[in-house]
Amino acid sequence: MSKTSCQAIPTRRIVLNDASQLPADYSSTPGGTLFSTTPGGTRIIYDRAFLLECRNSPLTRSPPPNMPKIPGVTCPQAMKTKENGHAPEAKVAKPAEHVDEPQFHMDI
Amino acid sequence: MNNKFDMLKVEDSGDEDVNGQPKEKSKKVALPGEHPLQFNYAFWFSRRSPGKQTSYDQNLKQIIVVASVEQFWQLYSHVMRPSDLGTGHSDYHLFKEGIRPMWEDEANKAGGKWIVRLRKGIASRCWENLILAMLGEQFMVGEEICGSVISIRYQEDILSLWNRTASDQVTTSRIRDTLKRVLNLPPNTIMEYKTHTDSLKDNSSYRNTDVFMR
Repeated sequence: MSKTSCQAIPTRRIVLNDASQLPADYSSTPGGTLFSTTPGGTRIIYDRAFLLECRNSPLTRSPPPNMPKIPGVTCPQAMKTKENGHAPEAKVAKPAEHVDEPQFHMDI
Repeated sequence: MNNKFDMLKVEDSGDEDVNGQPKEKSKKVALPGEHPLQFNYAFWFSRRSPGKQTSYDQNLKQIIVVASVEQFWQLYSHVMRPSDLGTGHSDYHLFKEGIRPMWEDEANKAGGKWIVRLRKGIASRCWENLILAMLGEQFMVGEEICGSVISIRYQEDILSLWNRTASDQVTTSRIRDTLKRVLNLPPNTIMEYKTHTDSLKDNSSYRNTDVFMR
């Protein structure tokens, strides 16, 4: 058996001045999640649902400033007009379509 | 045996790497109102141009660094999904800032990666699940995670997750279990692990791997 060393769980006090500073969900405490105080110190943990929710924030609409242009990656392929005159449609990641759809099954 | 909490210790390397060399940092920070990430991450793209003899290094481009959840979504919503990168030989890499997605990097050289091979058509969804888990610190292995890669190939797509210490079995098996959970992999899925030392020896990323079934 290996010997396990103990250390006190570090604590931190956070002063709230108003009820609006309370986190909105039950898995969080002021200043971070319930699980943020781990032996290595505070960690910022987000679950998938929370991250997906943030996607709808108005802060995420515009592309990052100074994004380099790489055809076919950060901007559509250089448009080669086809004979019929239509440019190929660009496919960029679409906004959230994650309305609690069941997780897929994978055949590998 | 190592104390399994050793890996959780804060390895507060600050802005210096093990050689004391300052890392090139973007000084990117979360803006007011944004949700900061535990680590800054850099998004990289690489593509092997057919016919040309170019090194991996030359094909690798860092696109942008993100410091918050919102900055990540700005990026993610304005790049092609992996499956739409077209046929051929392309990779997206999302790595902690300061770690290059290369076997030789200081943070990677004693490390390795878990590999999951995907049939065509599910790469975008799996990649999203993997990087959300990584950004949200779901792996609970201290500083061990280095970054994730999605590799678009002709016959299959390959997802991989790189960690610092290939020899640390407590860590690698915890990563494997979390990976299975966040990707919702069926129980009999074959998982492969390859150390970067082995990759350097045979100069290949996805051949001659160690296969694990469970």
